[in-house]
Parts: sequence; C-alpha cells; structure tokens
Amino acid sequence: MIRKAITVLMMAAATATAHAENLLTGWDYYARLGYNIGGTAPVGIPATIRSMNSYKLQPNFTLGLDVSKPLKGNWGVMIGLHSENKGMKVDATVKNYHMVMTKGGDEIEGYYTGNLVTECEEWMLTLPVLATYRVHKNVMLKAGPYVSYVSTRVFKGYVYDGYLRRMVPVGEKIEMGNTEESRGTYDFSEHMRRIQVGIDVGADWQFSRRWGAYADLQWGLNGIHKSSFKTIEQTLYPIFGTFGVMYKLK
Amino acid sequence: MFKILVKVCVAVTVCSGLTACFKDEPLNSECDIEKAWVHYDEPELCTWNLSDTIIEKVYTGESTITFKVKPGTDRSSLAPQFVVTEGATLFPENGSVQNFANGPVAYTTTSQDGNWQRIYHVSVIEERRTVRDIIEFDFERVEVFTDEFTKKQYYKWNDLKEDGTDANNWASANGGFSISNPSAKLDEYPTVPVEDGFDGKAVKLETKATGAIAQAMKKLMAAGNLFLGKFITENALKDALGSTHFGLPFDKKPLKFTGYYKYKPGPTFMYEDGRVDEGRKDEGAIYAILYKNHDKDGNPVMLHGDYAQKKEESENIVAKAILPEVRPVEEWTRFEVDFDYYGADVDYDLLNSFGYNLAVVFSSSKDGAYFHGAIGSTLYIDKVSVICETSKQ
Repeated sequence: MIRKAITVLMMAAATATAHAENLLTGWDYYARLGYNIGGTAPVGIPATIRSMNSYKLQPNFTLGLDVSKPLKGNWGVMIGLHSENKGMKVDATVKNYHMVMTKGGDEIEGYYTGNLVTECEEWMLTLPVLATYRVHKNVMLKAGPYVSYVSTRVFKGYVYDGYLRRMVPVGEKIEMGNTEESRGTYDFSEHMRRIQVGIDVGADWQFSRRWGAYADLQWGLNGIHKSSFKTIEQTLYPIFGTFGVMYKLK
Repeated sequence: MFKILVKVCVAVTVCSGLTACFKDEPLNSECDIEKAWVHYDEPELCTWNLSDTIIEKVYTGESTITFKVKPGTDRSSLAPQFVVTEGATLFPENGSVQNFANGPVAYTTTSQDGNWQRIYHVSVIEERRTVRDIIEFDFERVEVFTDEFTKKQYYKWNDLKEDGTDANNWASANGGFSISNPSAKLDEYPTVPVEDGFDGKAVKLETKATGAIAQAMKKLMAAGNLFLGKFITENALKDALGSTHFGLPFDKKPLKFTGYYKYKPGPTFMYEDGRVDEGRKDEGAIYAILYKNHDKDGNPVMLHGDYAQKKEESENIVAKAILPEVRPVEEWTRFEVDFDYYGADVDYDLLNSFGYNLAVVFSSSKDGAYFHGAIGSTLYIDKVSVICETSKQ
C-alpha cells in the first residue's frame, strides 16, 4: 500500500514538473515545525452529539521538509515529507448515540446517553504534493492532495455518568458511574486505517530571508477507520489546521 | 500580505471548529414507565402497607408492574397513574379506569419520536396470608430467561405461591453476568441448576472469572448467588452492592432455617484488583434475615449487599439465622440454624400485615459482593426450609 502511494506521488510530481526546463535546478528547501489543531469528527455533527465539554490539546507536532520550485509565472510546485501527530482528546455529551463497549473480544452494544471521552493518537508520515501560487513576493498560496502513512493508531475512550440501553433505545439500561470501577471503556484502535488521503490548502509567508510562518488546513477525504468498521455510524474524518514556522535551508 | 494570512487562518479555524455546529436535540427514543401509583378511596382497607399504593421506581428491565392488595379488594375499576419518559405517550390513557379483576392489563408506551414502543403488563394481585408453617424451597421450578433485545439467556428460579400463582421470588446476579461476560453461554453463568441434587434438581453457585469489560472495572469475579428478592441489573456496574435487593414481604415468625449443601472453595483467594491472599480460604454464605420493611416514618426499607455497613438498614434487622461455617464438604450435608431474635420478639400486628421482609441468601463467596473470593468456589444448595411459628392472629 505505501509503495503504491509513493509511486502515485512520484508520478504526480513528475507530471507537475514535466514542463520544467531542468528538473534538478531552481529548488528551494524548507524545514518546518508546526502544530496541528483540530479533530477527527463526522462532517456534519449528528444530532445525537449534544455538546462538547472539553477539548484537550495533544502533542500534535509536525516536523517536515519541503522542496518547492517555481514553474511558470506565479505558479509552482511543492513536495514534502512531514512527520506529524493528529491526536485529540474530546469529552462530549451524547444522547441516544449508538456505540459498542468492547474489550478482549467481549462486546456490549447499545444506545448511550451521557458523557463520552474519546482519545485519538495518529502519528503519521505525510507526503503532500501541492501546486503553489505566489500572490506576493513573500506569500505563497498552496493547495493539493496529501497521502499519509499512519504508524501509531490509537482510538479509544470511555463513557461516564450516563447509561447504555442494550441493543435498542428501549433495551435494559446499564448505568455508568464516574470511577474507574464503574465506567465503560472502548478501544477501536485496531480498526483504524494505515493510509489516509486528503486535501491540503495553505499559505506560506516568508517574513525574513530565512524565517517564515505557515498555516495549512488538512482535510481528510477518507475516514480514520476502515470502511468495514460500522460500530460508529458516522465516518470520522481527520480535519486539522496546522500553524508553524519554517526555515529556508536553501 | 498579512491580510491574506489572516484570512487563511480564519478559514482554518472555522473549518476545524466544525464541532461547534450542534443540531437541535433529537426527540426521545425511550419510552419507559418510570413510576406508577394507584388511588384507593380507603387505602388502609385495601392494602397491607400504604406504600403498596405506589411503585417509586420501575426498573428498565421490568415490563410487569404489580400492585398488591388485601384479599377481597374490588379490583374491577381502578385507575393507575404513571410517570413515563418525557414526551412518551401511553395507551390506554394514563389514569383511565381499568378492570384488573380478570388479570393484568396491557399498557403500551410510545416514544416521543414515535419510533419505539414498550408493552407493560400491569396487575393488581391479592396478597394472601401464608397458611403453611413450613416454607419449603426445592429449586425444581427453574426457567430459562431470554432478554427480549440482547437474546442473552440465563436461569431464573420461580416458586409457586400457596394460591398457585407465580411467586417470582428468587433472584441472582446472573443478569449482571450477562453484562460482565456478554459471550457467556447459558450453562457458564454463576448460578445454574443441576439435575442430580439431594432431592431432584439443586442449585449450583460458582464464583466465575469475569470478562475483560468487567475486569477493566476491577470486578475480576462474579460469585454465584441466589436470594429471595430482586437483582437490579441496570445498577450492576455502577453500584454492584446496591443492585442486590435482599428480602420479600413475609408474614410468619421464622424459627429455624434448614437445608442441604456441598461446598468446595476455589484454590486462590483474590481481591477485586487481583491481589492474591495466600493465607485466606474462600468461604460460602448461607443465611436468612428477618427485617422490618419500613422505617418509623413509613418509608420502605430494603437490605442491600452492603447492609452490614449501613446503619439505617442493619438497625431494621430483627432476627438472623447465619450458618457460622460453610465447611468444605463433598457429600450433601444438612444444616440447621435457629433464628436469633436477640431476646426481643416480633411485633405481631406488623408481622400479620407483611411488615417484615425475609431474606434468604446463598453465595459461593461470602464477600462476593465486594468482588473478594476465589474463582472456582462452588456451593450446591437443595431442599431448603424455613420453619415458622404457627400464626397468632
């Protein structure tokens, strides 16, 4: 899978640079250090998710290397390799939300009303292939696809201060407390995808000869879980904004 | 130039702030009867206890609601009232006059969103005074309970009353095991029947290891138990001790508690967190307790798994018959324990109006309620009797 992704990327890069007079000259090199903020969420929040009680920042650092090259007029191309984490920890209140408590092969399925904590960790290697457009001598807009290989996959959490109705909304209740002994846990890590694809739209601002700042929006186009995974009814897409500094190496 | 960057930042923030877009609250899908009560013009004449006119909490696992009245009470036109889930509707109408003289009346609730329904059978039954002086429990009437929605199956014991109706008297934590061990099969539950008892079928209670979900909640084992009363499955995870409601109304003065047992403690005594106690042997529990089922203000009192720690529960106890030692024995062994009234006597007026509850409790691990015990501890029980004094009117 990763090999396929790299091939696709190489081909895209080759096509984009096909018109370049010389493939090897005229490249700029950048190092980036940034922070991802966002979440893995359904696009269009379902009515069963009622409110967000807390959102905890995670060590969502991104460290990357990019090469870019002007092609024609203001247009250019940028290719990169970023090591990053797209994690989140959200405490939400849900009503009649379909879920399954799982552990060690045991499952309790039902409709949950109460508080739900979701913790997600996704360390990945991302390859963006972006078209660039220079709107100002120091500012470059960029947009294009990215593909990520997710090496660390964690998606787990627990429910507390609520109740699960078994199987259907009129099934027997199971009351949940708020101690380690009385709350239900779940872990859907093993159902996560290795490969994520999405669209990256952003801007780079070179404010000194070497230093610059950047902002990107990475919008995932496939869900973080495999499509065979049906426990969570809504597909969860990773949607993260990245803010950071960049350093022009050459 | 800076403006462009700001615009991009705003766009990013708005998009990633999608979680702020919450929709209107969905209508309720639940449709439970939560509470029920019935009005009698002269409640003192119709009921043994005034609190019998109201059922404060109908648990979600129950689809029957039973009001008890004194024999002879006119049950042909009563108008029970109900509290249902917000927005749910009830048919026949809440508070409408119904005839309960010929058996239960079915009420259907429909959820606020119109998608779900439940059917409740509401009955008003005559609670008759006990005639026999020896109450025998032979554990022959065992049935397989199947949860309507989860399809989980486990055993329940249900004796007949003297008038031939279902007593629904025995409860066990098997319902809790259907949560802690959702993949367990019928015969893997902690409380099961065995064919070759002392006399006909007997009950086998075994302390079982729980599944991963319960283990994560520091509930490593589930003791086999059987008791007169109710087990509230919905509280089993949140409040395991509170989920055992020991005791049912009783109108005789019990004198002796007898029966037959076999016991084998499991090899390794453990605490709820998995700590092993090498020096401790597991013990079974066989006991009966008589207690006042109302406090002095008339509020119902129920003994729970942790009654010994609860002053308001334990001070209602009037008599105990506790087998001091459930010895490891491989052969059926008879036990006989006297009820100890601590020198006092029962209040006969109270006794004659079902003012006491009798709890009979068996467990394969004495401290199973606290998840202390040895996996594999096994207690067999058969042919149990509660010998009572001949009623004084």
